[in-house]
Amino acid sequence: MTDNAAPVRLGLLPLTDAAPLVLAEADGIFAAEGVAVSLCVEPSWANIADKLAYGLLEGAVMLPPLGLAMALGMRRAAAPLLVPMSLSLNGNSIVLASRLAAHVLEDGAMPAPGVAGARLRGLLPSGPGLRLAVVHAWSTHDLLLRYWLAASGIDPDRDVTISVIPPPEMPAALAEGRIDGFCAGAPWGGVAARIGVGHAVLHSSAIWPNHPEKCLAVRADWAERAPATLIAVMRALLRAGQRCDDPANAPDLANLLAQPRFVGVEPALIAASLPGGAGEEVDRSVFASHGAAVPWPAHARWFAAQMARWGAMPEDAAARAEAIYRPDLYAAAADTLGMAMPDVTATGAFVGI
Amino acid sequence: MKVLLIDSEAERAGIVEAHLAGAGATEVVRPEPGEALPDAVARSNPDVVIVDMARADRDALDGIRRVADETPRPIVMFVDDDDPAFMEAAISAGVSSYTVVGVEVPDVKPIVRAAVAMFRRYHLVEQELARARSSLRERAVIDRAKSLLIRTRRMSEPEAHRWLRRQAMERSRRIAEIAAEFVASVNHEGDGTANNKPGNTGEETTNDR
Repeated sequence: MTDNAAPVRLGLLPLTDAAPLVLAEADGIFAAEGVAVSLCVEPSWANIADKLAYGLLEGAVMLPPLGLAMALGMRRAAAPLLVPMSLSLNGNSIVLASRLAAHVLEDGAMPAPGVAGARLRGLLPSGPGLRLAVVHAWSTHDLLLRYWLAASGIDPDRDVTISVIPPPEMPAALAEGRIDGFCAGAPWGGVAARIGVGHAVLHSSAIWPNHPEKCLAVRADWAERAPATLIAVMRALLRAGQRCDDPANAPDLANLLAQPRFVGVEPALIAASLPGGAGEEVDRSVFASHGAAVPWPAHARWFAAQMARWGAMPEDAAARAEAIYRPDLYAAAADTLGMAMPDVTATGAFVGI
Repeated sequence: MKVLLIDSEAERAGIVEAHLAGAGATEVVRPEPGEALPDAVARSNPDVVIVDMARADRDALDGIRRVADETPRPIVMFVDDDDPAFMEAAISAGVSSYTVVGVEVPDVKPIVRAAVAMFRRYHLVEQELARARSSLRERAVIDRAKSLLIRTRRMSEPEAHRWLRRQAMERSRRIAEIAAEFVASVNHEGDGTANNKPGNTGEETTNDR
């Protein structure tokens, strides 16, 4: 039962962790929940942000830091947004050019974050010689990369340069020597390895096990106008997310995501980053099982605090970040599916490296 | 006023560039081939950046703000909060624009407006072209299907037309789809008379009505 008939426009980027939306469309889960959804595959995060801001999308798969930056007025074209659920945990890898990766990996096995960081520090030239790239200035990738570098005694602002490159272009940038490494979601680390230009030296899940990755961000005014539609969309995404978490569904899901309309790379590279996948070049996503989709206020606080740490958000904005996350909406949708709701006032334990 | 115009479509960029001059842009610069957007901004030091939204590397412009904290590069930001309807139209047309802080929005607006108008017009022309091409292709496949019906089922041309139309109505499909399906099925059967070049069978049955 929903509030109106116009299709809900949801934006996404060609990444493995858009899986719940793609599956919900393909398996008719949106339709089963009585909601018409039109998926808009966008070429950049900036497009998603602009279209959300100007009402051309109702919601999107979102980088939480970008969503917070928009909602708190850090990015012009600000927009009141809500985050009613998380969409995935983990999923990014830090990839270095082969010659650097060989030093960090040494015997081939992926080392612990502290060991990898220490080895990378040993390779640094003096000055900002190492050129790394992330997918957006306000991204989980940027914050986790900086967190790891800083914990390893590498100053992310002085010892390295961090630029922004779209995920699908990372392997080519590495191949052409424009960068020395990157942090991006799957399958792009796997693609870099496949074409022989680099190797993953660390997964984001090693920096923060089960870290929040993408979230669902929706326009606050739309959520207010169409509360039943929002719950229907969330129910569909929770059900789809649970299916995505079942390794038995991974082959079909990989084929689906491999279509040119979505990620457009061979299914095996995508399957590697889905639950049950194998290999060290990509991290593996977790979607909705075991409370993975709960939008913990503590997560919003962590993102905001890290953004403030690197000067990307004023302290007063950080204090308002928590209110963007809406576990009450998650609870409303999860309850109707019989999914458990944890006590979100608990801090959500990230103790760091 | 200096405008950095970033558009992957060279032809459209040329048209937009010519139009911008008329709207008050004193200088229009374009990125070098293969040049990264932040480098282009740093090199050209523009007052306004107008960018084709299909470029994935537009994300790099969001990142320039941070770089600007440390180096004297221009700070670029999104235009503009006071006219959501205009920005919505711009985004629908595939244009995004950023202004360098310090430039008054009223000065920028005519320039962005001109770019948006040209993007939209180009977009319409492209759509019309695509429509025209697809209708030509459809006409060819319908003719091909009719010619096969006439030959293999001994129909007259009007009978072939009615047969296709009836199939389309019964199955709620378009005539061109029915025709394409029929041609494919005949080809699949390996009918020796079928061949993929309509009008090249030496018969008088390819009608052009």
